[in-house]
Amino acid sequence: MTLSTQPLTRRRFISAAAAIGSTTLLVTACGGGGGATSAPSAGGWTIPTTDPTATINVLSHLGLKTDHMQDVVDAFEKAHPTIKVNFETVPFDSLASTIDARVANKDGSPDVYWADQPRISALAARGEAEDLTSAFSSYKSTFAPTAYDAGIYQDKLWALPIANSTQLLYYNKTLLKKAGLADPSASTDQRMTWEQLITDAKKAKDAGAQYGFLFGQFDRYYQLEPLAVQLGGSPGASGNGNLTPDFASDAWVKALTWYGSIFADGTAPKGLASEQTDPAFLGGRAAYMVEGPWLLPQLKTSKVDWGVAPQPVFAGGKPATPTGSWSLAMNPFSKQKEAAAIFLRWMAIDDGGGGYIKYLPSPELAASVEGKKVYFAKDVFSTPQGQDAAKIIDFETANTAVNRVSTIGYIEFETIMNQMYADVRNGADPKTSVDKSTAQLKTAWQKYQ
Amino acid sequence: MTALRTTPDRPEPLRRRRAGRRLELFWGAVFLAPVLVSLVVLRIVPAVGAISASLYKAFPGGIIPATYAGLQNYRSLFGDPNFNDTIVRTIVFNLIINPLQILVALLVAVLFVQRIPLVGLWRTLLFVPVTVPVVGSCIAWGAALNPEGPVNAIISALGGKPQPFFTSPGQALACIMVIASWIGIGYWMLFLVSGLQAIPEELYDAAKIDRAGPVRTFINITIPMLRRPLLFVLVADTVANFVLFVPVQLLTGGGPQSSTTLLMFEAYRTSYAYGSRNLGAAQVVLLTAIMLFFVLLQFRLLREEGES
Repeated sequence: MTLSTQPLTRRRFISAAAAIGSTTLLVTACGGGGGATSAPSAGGWTIPTTDPTATINVLSHLGLKTDHMQDVVDAFEKAHPTIKVNFETVPFDSLASTIDARVANKDGSPDVYWADQPRISALAARGEAEDLTSAFSSYKSTFAPTAYDAGIYQDKLWALPIANSTQLLYYNKTLLKKAGLADPSASTDQRMTWEQLITDAKKAKDAGAQYGFLFGQFDRYYQLEPLAVQLGGSPGASGNGNLTPDFASDAWVKALTWYGSIFADGTAPKGLASEQTDPAFLGGRAAYMVEGPWLLPQLKTSKVDWGVAPQPVFAGGKPATPTGSWSLAMNPFSKQKEAAAIFLRWMAIDDGGGGYIKYLPSPELAASVEGKKVYFAKDVFSTPQGQDAAKIIDFETANTAVNRVSTIGYIEFETIMNQMYADVRNGADPKTSVDKSTAQLKTAWQKYQ
Repeated sequence: MTALRTTPDRPEPLRRRRAGRRLELFWGAVFLAPVLVSLVVLRIVPAVGAISASLYKAFPGGIIPATYAGLQNYRSLFGDPNFNDTIVRTIVFNLIINPLQILVALLVAVLFVQRIPLVGLWRTLLFVPVTVPVVGSCIAWGAALNPEGPVNAIISALGGKPQPFFTSPGQALACIMVIASWIGIGYWMLFLVSGLQAIPEELYDAAKIDRAGPVRTFINITIPMLRRPLLFVLVADTVANFVLFVPVQLLTGGGPQSSTTLLMFEAYRTSYAYGSRNLGAAQVVLLTAIMLFFVLLQFRLLREEGES
């Protein structure tokens, strides 16, 4: 459950809400300014052959206890006894601003931090990430291509991927049988079309399912970007540095029109938040759902009789699926770069595909090719449906995955896109929404021009 | 009592008095120092900081230094139709919500100083929303006004048509007003109740003797005597509503279709979500200027009425 676009947990939500209350007062107090010294130039360090003695500070949104990161840290300290890890956790919603503030302090702490993949360009441009090209570019073939590319900005490598994601179509066999529908094929050669899916989902709803179809994350760019890409649209931005809004195209309008229609005809629910979609499917209330592999462990313990198929494609379109997760980046002001590099390598590469994937108790899709094998060997893939899922995940991450657009203005982009999806879901005209959001994004990106 | 008073033209005591006055000023300054220092540190420094920051342009994040840009931030803000819409929306929002809240609070306050049974209970009930943390009441209202939530269930049960509430650009801002007023009315009522109780009973007795009806009494006695608390409530309420933020952030995120993007939320989003602190500072300066304009207008209106 480490993906940035994951639904907010209640804990995150409340802490974010509390933070909002207290930061309101600070708006007036914070100006621009900032020191004049620039980040030290890249290089000057290599990955040493013998371990230095050091303590490194690592900043993450994952908890030692709640997310079992203690197991990972313990395994690292066992493998590298002279390097101690001081692991700090901040809520997901304040991770980006914490990195901003802490790195700008220039005291070198944290040495390593969790970097949300679509924000890596911004981190690099802001001078908040160390150039990892010379130390790590030789490991390129170790990773899934899209995962490695997520760390690239202006032809240099700024972060190493430790996890990945994709999306699958889950279905409830009981509800499909009730509606007289055949199970969708698990073969990636016989992908369902969205058009067929909605027709079937309507039948399932008429036959008694509460929800015909659910996206795991409604109104989120991560989940919905591939719809437009399948129809030949851009990932949403193009031009120099991907700083020109590029979603006022027929493909985008067509994809958004389809998205709006599934709510207008009642196949998908309007009022359901992304936090409520997993429980709805696990509770046997939804016929079909497109969601990530993090649903698999929960399905294994649920009472739902389920099956899995590849994410659908538009008739006449080419398959495209969401991807991306978290990477690790290094503070350019770190005083322990060599020890930090050893930690990065161990997390992402060492021990047959990265210690993170190997020692984290809950199964997490790896960004490395070797790590995927470790992942697929986990218990959740032992059932027949689990094996179907493994095959699909393996295929999608290697063949159909499309990254979220890489731009230094990603934060503005994602905020405006998600709002646009929400508006269309609530019945706004797709063409008008596209034009309005394009104008809004142009203004928001003016500062980068 | 007056026989032995020192006359002011005698030099010796005058000097002593001046010295005493200086000492008084000194101690006055000492006792005022905490307030004055806080005023400078907490109000003037940030305000000057915001104004100066709004004249700079910087890349987001804190490492790359800012450069002077003059009024460029303001020019780009006013050149953006979305931002102009936000300003208009914020002003319209305030022109509706402030009079509405104060009128209702005043009517409720007048009702609650009458001799009605269980008046303490009613007052407490109306005040309870104030004691609930805003975040909590926003979450509760968000759930209640969900299109598939309890409020629509009640509407359907009564034979009405379910409403979209926060999912409709036509209703979302009105829903925010309802939540803000649910909290605000009880709070402002409290000040008005105490103001009403401070009006001397004799004035009402005199009005009764003059055979003034309830409306006339209200307009000619209650309102003029209530001017001070009313002015305070009006100004404080206006400020509170101009910086209203939590319901927008928690429930609508400024949508749908920007219908609930108020200036305070916009400034927060620009500063923190987008990391454009300087542009955000410019928005805060504009917000403060608009707010001050309305507050000064209110002071003027109520003072002139008092003088005429």
